[in-house]
Amino acid sequence: MKKFGLTAFLILSLAACATNPDGSKLSADDEESKVEYYNRAMFNFNYQFNKKVMKPVAKGYKKITNQFFRDRVSAFFDNLEEPAYFINNLFQGEIKNSGISVGRFLLNSTLGLAGTFDVAAGWGLEKKKNSFDQTMAKYCVPDGPFFILPIVGPATPRYVAGWTADAYASPLFWALIDVEDDGVDAAVVGATALKYINLYAENEGLIESLEAGSVDFYATMKSAFLQNRQKFVSLCAQGADDEETLSYDFDFGYDDAFDEEME
Amino acid sequence: MQKFLSFVVAVFLLATGSAQAEVNAQQAEDFIKQVTTQGIEEIINSDVSIEEKDARFADLFNKYLDLDFIGRFVLGRYWRTSTPEQQKEFINVYREMNIKTWSKRFDEFKGKTFVFKGTTPSNSAGQIFVNTEVPMEQGAPAKVVWRVKETKGEFKVVDIIIENVSLAITARNEYTAYIKKSPDGVDGLIANLRQKSQQ
Repeated sequence: MKKFGLTAFLILSLAACATNPDGSKLSADDEESKVEYYNRAMFNFNYQFNKKVMKPVAKGYKKITNQFFRDRVSAFFDNLEEPAYFINNLFQGEIKNSGISVGRFLLNSTLGLAGTFDVAAGWGLEKKKNSFDQTMAKYCVPDGPFFILPIVGPATPRYVAGWTADAYASPLFWALIDVEDDGVDAAVVGATALKYINLYAENEGLIESLEAGSVDFYATMKSAFLQNRQKFVSLCAQGADDEETLSYDFDFGYDDAFDEEME
Repeated sequence: MQKFLSFVVAVFLLATGSAQAEVNAQQAEDFIKQVTTQGIEEIINSDVSIEEKDARFADLFNKYLDLDFIGRFVLGRYWRTSTPEQQKEFINVYREMNIKTWSKRFDEFKGKTFVFKGTTPSNSAGQIFVNTEVPMEQGAPAKVVWRVKETKGEFKVVDIIIENVSLAITARNEYTAYIKKSPDGVDGLIANLRQKSQQ
């Protein structure tokens, strides 16, 4: 019964949310707009989730922590990404960078007090961020269509695949499978929750100011998300060192062909 | 023969077009240095009232951004189908809304600096990209690219690209999506933007 209640609540809130930016009902009749219908509904659900759940939690979290603590939390979780950076740098033939990622992980995990301080950067070992998403982009795996995931938000199939693969490289995941102990499992779940609460708390201001200037927040997020992903496009065709094709160097004139292409 | 002639004409136009397109990289970079320095020193880090900051920002915004140019691009195909009054109204509310939303974000930029990383040519005539980075306390620096347009020796900002996200493209996608769905079309957008700028 409880389960049914939750399902009913979810369906109802989705239906209630499926409106146009101006508040009018969105029709799902148009075959073409069905995907967008789902996306907007899920986007609104996530929006309400953030507002009703994440925001109060982040507020409480900010009350009991200070900036110093939150910086340590960010650094701790950033450090756990280093194994994924290592593997992906290796996959992409960035041997030197993958060495740096190993060095950073070893140094920061020990001298950097379990990664809470980035001591390696102080010695000139700057972070070499990388992802399986980028590895796939380099091997010309197509990105796929844009969609909205529950809770997580904007995504594409390649984005999700990359994100999942990188999660397997995280020490958090190793702990989950290697140690047969419910206590450890609970700790991993707790840590993951902390990671996202911290992330939300640190970016709340940015999200809110983005929304403040927006007439159609869904369209804004979608556009920004897809543009940001354009940075990987040149990796496939020309290799990483080619910087000639700028995705944002669109024809800043007013010709019709461009209008069609953009909308 | 006629085809060949038009080919020759096209090549000629392209050649002269790209010759015109040369923007002085040093001048463009100096221009952005001036904009960012003025913004940081005279607004963000200055010890004046919030009202004074807002007023100074409005001046800076109007002086250095070519909002007629950006606004026209942002409306996309709907620019041509709008009446001159609607066009004027749109530019006005778009300006006000931008000034309003950016003014609220001054605190986020406190203590930030811009590190200049050279320029990149653009395929659009008379335009160039000035590359900057903003160092962050945590993680990698944010990449901020300024699209600069030169007209008769005068420089204007026409787009700001933050981490590969163009503000002009984002606004265009958003506004055209809104107009497409709004029963009042462009007027609906104008009304919504006006409301946003008055909040």
